[in-house]
Amino acid sequence: MSVADEHSTEVSVGGRPARTARAALAGIERPVAVRAGLVAVLFLVVLIGLPGLVSTFWLQIATNVAIYSIVTLSLAVLVGRVGMVSLGQIALLAVGGWVALRLGFGTGLPFPLLLLATGLITGAIGVLIGLPALRLSGLYLALITLMAAAAITVVLQVTNFPNGGSGLLGYSGARAGTVSSALHRPDLLASTSAFFRTVVIVAALMFALAAVHVRSRAGRAWAAIRQSQPSAIAAGVNVTLYKMWAFALASFMTGVAGGLLATSTGGLSTYAFPAQDSITVLAVVLMGGVYSFWGPVVAAVLLKLLPEILKNWGLPPDLLTILFGLGVLQVMLTAPAGLAVQVPKDLANLARLVRRRVAPG
Amino acid sequence: MPDLRPFLVLGLALGGVFALSGVGIVVLYRATGVLNLAYGAVGALGALIAWSLINDLLLPDWVAYLVAVLFGGVVTLLYGMLFGAPLAQRDPLIKAVGTLGFTLILLGTMSWAWSYQAHSLILPTTELGFDVGEVRVNGTQILGLGLGLAVTGVAAAFLRYTKLGVAMRSLANHREITATLGVPVRRVEAAAWFGSGLLSGATGLLLSTLVGLDIVGLTFLVIASLSAALIGRLESLVVTMAAGLAIGVVQAFLTPFDTVGPYRTMTPFLFAIVALLWFGFGQPRLSRA
Repeated sequence: MSVADEHSTEVSVGGRPARTARAALAGIERPVAVRAGLVAVLFLVVLIGLPGLVSTFWLQIATNVAIYSIVTLSLAVLVGRVGMVSLGQIALLAVGGWVALRLGFGTGLPFPLLLLATGLITGAIGVLIGLPALRLSGLYLALITLMAAAAITVVLQVTNFPNGGSGLLGYSGARAGTVSSALHRPDLLASTSAFFRTVVIVAALMFALAAVHVRSRAGRAWAAIRQSQPSAIAAGVNVTLYKMWAFALASFMTGVAGGLLATSTGGLSTYAFPAQDSITVLAVVLMGGVYSFWGPVVAAVLLKLLPEILKNWGLPPDLLTILFGLGVLQVMLTAPAGLAVQVPKDLANLARLVRRRVAPG
Repeated sequence: MPDLRPFLVLGLALGGVFALSGVGIVVLYRATGVLNLAYGAVGALGALIAWSLINDLLLPDWVAYLVAVLFGGVVTLLYGMLFGAPLAQRDPLIKAVGTLGFTLILLGTMSWAWSYQAHSLILPTTELGFDVGEVRVNGTQILGLGLGLAVTGVAAAFLRYTKLGVAMRSLANHREITATLGVPVRRVEAAAWFGSGLLSGATGLLLSTLVGLDIVGLTFLVIASLSAALIGRLESLVVTMAAGLAIGVVQAFLTPFDTVGPYRTMTPFLFAIVALLWFGFGQPRLSRA
């Protein structure tokens, strides 16, 4: 059993199936088209408009939000679609960053190929970690990913991120501090706004990749596994293959995010990936909601934009950690589908209440 | 070959504390089905409160230590009362994720109120000490190992021979049937939360002396205790204790070796990963039904 399991009935009652049925009855698919149009417009506004509207500082924050939305997306797919909880996503992000830097310093791969290779290698590493763990379920899978994350953090602090040194590890103490540990960007992406646009496009591709998966055979297999593993096996679903696939996909996406992070301003430091961040990421993903693709976006905003806003207001960002903790408990107790579903529902309820008050009779 | 004897002392002391907290985790899991991942954070907050009582309010040390241990019990009990019951019927994973939320609340509180600046807390037992051969052993190290062994023994006897202990064990088997038998489920669970919380308070004090009072470090030392608990299959107190000691000693023994020394803090994680995989393959249904 998993987080997703328990609420699947709740979600399918209040969520998509009912709406699809209604749309089918009406004989129109307009809500879907409207929604797709809305997403496209929003995407274009962010892509084209945002760099002109905000300062370089906030644009870098927005870039970070976009990068982390890929990480939260990968975790949301694991938790929401397959019902597997990983507590090692941030460690995997660090692995992605390491791989990207190692490849970047070691080879002359063009940027898109570098990102792809980073994703594939991180995906392979994720599968290597995940493969033996797939026999475990629920709590024990979560624990083993937490242990693996903690172990990776220790290794990284000893080996450091590659900075162009020699050898397999590619780190040289002599070069530390003298060269930037950031990956060199192609000239085309040198400006903050160009890099932001690239990141947004890559993030959009990742969301599309996830959406394609969810709607395809893999998504149906995952749904079956999430509902009940024995029935999935009985229905002829290759449980091990599809679980591994989900792990590989999530690790691939996290690896790509790591590659983007390694390229972003300032580069990587070993202290940027503490084990508790994997817990924070799980917290915001659960708060954002794991059953809708808006959830990961909300989660990334909570994770990367909100702390900056608080700092801007002179409030300690530690308050957010407390808030995230309370948020997790609230999600567990009352709102399993997260903010992305809960807030519109609450607003609709509020609107109905107001309408009832205003309307006579 | 370096002289390993000083490291044996360090390892046994640290292992004793891992055993102590591992037992706290197992007792709570057996009674309530909750794997308390906030265990380390509770201990860390208790130690910080003790630090403030001693350094800011200038209270006598023993009062501060007592408050720290009691704080562990009370705050854990509070969580158990507020969130334990509503989540009681849920999957073990959900219950554990709930305690992760609790961990974040505690972590946020600590870094907000005490910030990440360095604090240090040295138990007075550290000044007592004696020599075994050429190796100096201090009182806190003895206390760590002694408390680990004693708590394991007492907890095992408690679960076996007392009425409350038997009630806890039967709760672990089946909550509803136990309730039908007339066992006051909520009160028994409360006792488990409180007892386990007291142990986490004591763990926090000992670890802040033995390892250092570092918020994040202490919070995540729970993972080491968790490894011990997992090797004990979240059931056997004696195996948990032995595993705790083994992890502590192995970790300490790696210290003087240059090639593996820097990686020594990975020891508990590797122990846990091997244990999880071993049990996972040997016995597919590891989780409580």
